[in-house]
Amino acid sequence: MIQLIIKRLAIAIPTLIIIIAFVFGLMRVAPGGPFTNERALPPEIEQKINEAYDLDKPLIQQFGIYLSKIAKGDLGPSYKYKDFTVNELILSGFPISLTLGISAIIISLLLGSLLGIIAAIKRNTIFDYAVMGVSLIGICVPSFVLAPILSLFFGLYLGFLPISGWNGGNIYNLILPVVSLSLPQIAIISRMMRSSTIETLNSNFIRTARAKGIPKRRIITKHVIRSSILPIIDYLAPATAGLMTGSIIIEQIFGLPGIGRYFVVGALQRDYTLVSGVMILYASLLMFLILLSDILRAILDPRVKIK
Amino acid sequence: MQTILNVNDLSVNFDTSQGLIKAVDNISFSIKKGECLGIAGESGSGKTQTFFSITGILSDNGSATGIADFNNVDLLKLTEKELSEIRGKKIGFIFQDPMTSLTPHMNIGNQLIEVSMIHKKNTKKDALKKAKEVLDIVKLPRIENLLKKYPHELSGGMRQRVMIGISLMCDPLFIVADEPTTALDVTTQKEILKIFNDLKKYKDITIALISHDIGVISEVSDTILIMNEGRIIEKGNCKEVLTSPKHEYTKHLLSCVPEWMK
Repeated sequence: MIQLIIKRLAIAIPTLIIIIAFVFGLMRVAPGGPFTNERALPPEIEQKINEAYDLDKPLIQQFGIYLSKIAKGDLGPSYKYKDFTVNELILSGFPISLTLGISAIIISLLLGSLLGIIAAIKRNTIFDYAVMGVSLIGICVPSFVLAPILSLFFGLYLGFLPISGWNGGNIYNLILPVVSLSLPQIAIISRMMRSSTIETLNSNFIRTARAKGIPKRRIITKHVIRSSILPIIDYLAPATAGLMTGSIIIEQIFGLPGIGRYFVVGALQRDYTLVSGVMILYASLLMFLILLSDILRAILDPRVKIK
Repeated sequence: MQTILNVNDLSVNFDTSQGLIKAVDNISFSIKKGECLGIAGESGSGKTQTFFSITGILSDNGSATGIADFNNVDLLKLTEKELSEIRGKKIGFIFQDPMTSLTPHMNIGNQLIEVSMIHKKNTKKDALKKAKEVLDIVKLPRIENLLKKYPHELSGGMRQRVMIGISLMCDPLFIVADEPTTALDVTTQKEILKIFNDLKKYKDITIALISHDIGVISEVSDTILIMNEGRIIEKGNCKEVLTSPKHEYTKHLLSCVPEWMK
């Protein structure tokens, strides 16, 4: 287990450098720069700014300076949010995005698996058709359509829930964004869980369990779930990636001060350091989740050997 | 001798997309206590479905009609819950494919003790004692070590022995062995059949041995049923039927055994 973690960390560093290089290159290829304005700056001022931010040096040298700063844990100054470093911006926004993301993923996993299992057990009944029908809609309707509809209905017409703002992490402010973020994932996970549970229910070892006279409930909890949950564990990382991109839009719609907006605004305004800072964070998070799902899989399935 | 299972007018149907398919067509037979009944026939002849239906482990689209008196209880009239109290306790099962018939994420010990803990309300300690006992009967070595292993760490023959062990956990009256040796190589097959012969001799267990292999059946069975297309073609003493078959289909089945083996 420890071997696996060390190995993954060793792979993570070159992976991150490649990602940083990629973002760095892409941002420079994009036309304009952080200090390009509609009204041209006097050349000597522009020269001074470029010097201050090392933008006058050759690209390779810029990249080297940037990498060595990152190695020290400094993501550099933001080019657009003056007086803020990227570290400060991420530290202020990340707890909000993290709360949103973790709540959404936990709810999607629990609710999605539960609905999928029940639909599989009660397959071809009204319950099954209802869950699968609703989940089809959930897959088709993107969260940026779902979110305004939900806030219109629950926020404006019924007046139950606030439609925007963070409010210090108040639970009522969290409900609508978390629901709109997790519904598409619940839909996907419940479908995956349903089909893998049906497959497990039809397997030979479940017939053995029935032949052993084990009560139905125990068959499900002890024999079925641990096998049928495996595809969901593998889906953990892609689901997180989906939630990350989803949260960029959701944070905008619900006016939450997370890091999603820095990603979009940073890219549009060519805030080089901010974009790659957020990118590094997202990439590390994703790699951590892939590692986590590999560890979980090995714990659940004795046939998997950790190497 | 006392009759343990008496089946009358049993039919099994499957509701498929091609309409209703009759797998077993109005068959009747009985098994005496301590007897080993061999059921022979080609695949699709309904031999497995006969026993799956009376014990209630048919797949969801199957249904059975008729009477199946087991120990003076009509199994076909019982609810799923009542049946599950008989399965594993009074009727043990051994299936065809040992590679996939054990739960992959549960260790051997837990798969064994679960049976007697549920049916006999045994404590874990008593159940473990019983588990070691049955693994000894099926001649598995290094039992302590084995209990902690997972199915994928065992060979096919060992898994089938574990399967037999599971079926013996509650000292059943009756064991249904559905093609127990088909997936095994010949030497392992021989050893497994020896276990069956021992069970008959020392434990007085009634066995229904389902197989397409006449050779396997002739080694263990006292009586034999020949089935084809859901019907019983011929039944009687195993030796008599196999040495002087009366029905064309039986003769045909026997002609499939190579000449020199007879």
